[in-house]
Amino acid sequence: MSQPRNSYAVGTGLFIVLGFAALAYLATQTTSVANVHQGASYTVDAHFANIGQLKERAPVKIAGVRIGQVQSITLEPGREVADVKLAIDTHYDKIPQDSVASIYTSGLLGDQYIGIRYGSSKKTVADGGTLVLTQPAQQLEEMLGKFFGAGGVADNLGGTYTVKANFTNVGALSVGAPVKMAGVPIGSVQSVIADPVKLDAEVTLAIDKRYNAIPDDSAAAVFTSGLIGTQYVAIQPGGSPDALKDGDEMVLTQSAMQLEDLIGKFLVNGSSGDKKDAGNGKPSESPAPAGKH
Amino acid sequence: MTEPVRATSDDSTLVRVRGLTTVLNGKTIFDRLDMDIPRGKITAIMGPSGTGKTTLLKHMTGQMRADAGEILVNGKNVPDMSREALYKMREGIGYLFQNSALLTDFDVFENVAFPLRQHTKLPEVLIRNLVLLKLQAVGLRGAARLLPNELSGGMARRVALARAIVFDPMLIMYDEPFVGLDPVALNQVLKLIRTLNQTLGITSVLVAHELDAIKQVADHVFLIANGKVVAQGDPKTIANDGSAWTRQFFGGEADGPVPFQYPAGDYAQALGFGGAAK
Amino acid sequence: MNPRAPQGNNVVTQSLAQIGNCGLFLLTLLAAIPRSFRYVRETIRQLWFVGAMSLTIIMVCGLFVGMVLMLQLYHVLSIFGGTSASGMVVALSVYRELGPVVTALLFAGRAGTSITAEIGLMRATDQIDAMEMMAVDPIAYVATPRFLAGLIAMPLLCCVFCAMAIFGGHLIGVSWLGIDNGTFWSNMTAVVEVHTDIVNGVLFKSLAFGAVVSLIAVYQGFTTPPTSEGVAYATTRTVVASSIAILALDFVLTAFLM
Repeated sequence: MSQPRNSYAVGTGLFIVLGFAALAYLATQTTSVANVHQGASYTVDAHFANIGQLKERAPVKIAGVRIGQVQSITLEPGREVADVKLAIDTHYDKIPQDSVASIYTSGLLGDQYIGIRYGSSKKTVADGGTLVLTQPAQQLEEMLGKFFGAGGVADNLGGTYTVKANFTNVGALSVGAPVKMAGVPIGSVQSVIADPVKLDAEVTLAIDKRYNAIPDDSAAAVFTSGLIGTQYVAIQPGGSPDALKDGDEMVLTQSAMQLEDLIGKFLVNGSSGDKKDAGNGKPSESPAPAGKH
Repeated sequence: MTEPVRATSDDSTLVRVRGLTTVLNGKTIFDRLDMDIPRGKITAIMGPSGTGKTTLLKHMTGQMRADAGEILVNGKNVPDMSREALYKMREGIGYLFQNSALLTDFDVFENVAFPLRQHTKLPEVLIRNLVLLKLQAVGLRGAARLLPNELSGGMARRVALARAIVFDPMLIMYDEPFVGLDPVALNQVLKLIRTLNQTLGITSVLVAHELDAIKQVADHVFLIANGKVVAQGDPKTIANDGSAWTRQFFGGEADGPVPFQYPAGDYAQALGFGGAAK
Repeated sequence: MNPRAPQGNNVVTQSLAQIGNCGLFLLTLLAAIPRSFRYVRETIRQLWFVGAMSLTIIMVCGLFVGMVLMLQLYHVLSIFGGTSASGMVVALSVYRELGPVVTALLFAGRAGTSITAEIGLMRATDQIDAMEMMAVDPIAYVATPRFLAGLIAMPLLCCVFCAMAIFGGHLIGVSWLGIDNGTFWSNMTAVVEVHTDIVNGVLFKSLAFGAVVSLIAVYQGFTTPPTSEGVAYATTRTVVASSIAILALDFVLTAFLM
């Protein structure tokens, strides 16, 4: 009687201890608690013109090493400036006053954090001090714009000539999107308008004059850079001896693939879909398949 | 434990039932039933199956509420009792269930010790001695460490009996104590019932149909049918009182006041021979 | 026969009556908690049966859930070049949904059915009536300890399940698929929050599921017709009703908490 009763109690006690051990493990080893430094810290102000997606408790790093976290984010009264208070571990009290605080993103889709690059000043920031030099968050849109936008190569060049191309579907192609040949930008999209008679999209491409030997039977296709990138017009050179001239129209076009279709094909077909994609990637020799959407 | 209950005992009747009426699922089980169970005697309640003998016991212990009527146990009306009062009363009543109802989680010893552990804070040594005393009384001291599923039906019933008497109750109710017992076990149980009554003066109420067994132990017999007491008295005289009820019950005739047929519509009509049925 | 049996004539009224009776039964259970304090030993014993005895199945299933989740995520995320996030996704999906839900479903199958069958058999063999006759309140002695044991055991089991799932994910992700160990943990710790994921996800949900499963199990055991057929049906009903209740409650809790 008392023997089995006690063994139940012991076993149950073990079970409870195991449960709480698991809870402690989950709570301390796999959560952001693991990142919170318990030690003493001092507070430094930094003003940012734009904090992007920065959140409270986001890490503060030097050379990629975590030295503290964002304590609070408030809007400076009356100014379009965000006042960010950083709680920095007292171990790291030798930060020069002219250090630059920037808001970075960990990876393309990751959370944002504050990175501090050391300045050269002999003076260090003390508790309650301010980091004057800051660099605001880079907006993804601006970055992408810089990367893909018309501002790239085409902007720096002298004159352009325009060519028209008709697509049954331009997808999300917008004005300013790059025109590429062999992956290199050679111009940009000048206008995208719907043709009232043919009922398709008439796209005007502004192409750098340097590239004036493009065969007039070249194909224009609307491609997407990467899975989540912007769309652009790719020109695949044909074999005709005559070159495109200003005001010409490109006859061979391939419309935009819808992302949904792409993902659908990709996920459903798996690896066997690769072959089909490769086939579609080649320019169609007639506009007819392009119109299937 | 049972002292306050015993204190008022100068009446010769321990359980007095008056005007008991019960309707279950539209069927009348008891129809203004009256019954007096004498103190210190062995009383048998007999009757055809389905007349509600077990239900009557459950009314007496407050496990089931009747629709009307009084049940005075030791002068207190059971239907009026609060839950606490009921529990208090039940501590003075032992109840032997038809299928023993031993707790399957515990061994024999713990089953008998269960009421003691629940209601007292006796030291372990005393509990042990009390339990072994009761087990010795039913002849199963050696089986103290067996589990209920290792016991035969007769042994289980004796263990249940030991559990029922562990508090030295004033009243023991036996629900079908003889069912499914071999002659040896039957005689053992009969002897126990008699011994408990004679040596401890425990009032016993037993529900059974085994006429021979009842003739051996019972001092008083009630025959219940159709919700009423149809005959009562000494077991030897009642069998010969000549009424239709006792003739059928004790004589074992198939048909009589207790109908062989369960109430039904016209037989011919049910078979399709009646004029109304096409 | 059974006073609690629903008297409706269609499925909707019957289900509503069941839910109503179940709610009333919960009140009875809660009211009996003070009286069941004297049966603490019984609660501990039940904690052993429903909690500790379920540990093996919970641990094995947790391990495999973590392993298969990691395997699936790795192959999907490798399309996007995001395999380093798979540890994080394993942790989040286990803490918020899979941990509490799968643990509760396993708990209903392992402990819920045994509670129902045990109580149903106790009724069928008059043990409940015998307790009544021994002046022991069967609600306080049988029902409430099992209910409380389920309530206590579920969050603990869920924590063990989650820990095993993380371990399984780590095993597959780091040891087999070659995700960097540091990346695995840092991505996880960067995203998992104590409040939203551990407290609201693991603990609160599993507590709610534990209450629902043990309530249904005890209720079915107590209200089943005391025959062997009734007990068989009652265990089936425990699993069916628990599973529906768990998933429906999961939706409601997720909608309100997250």
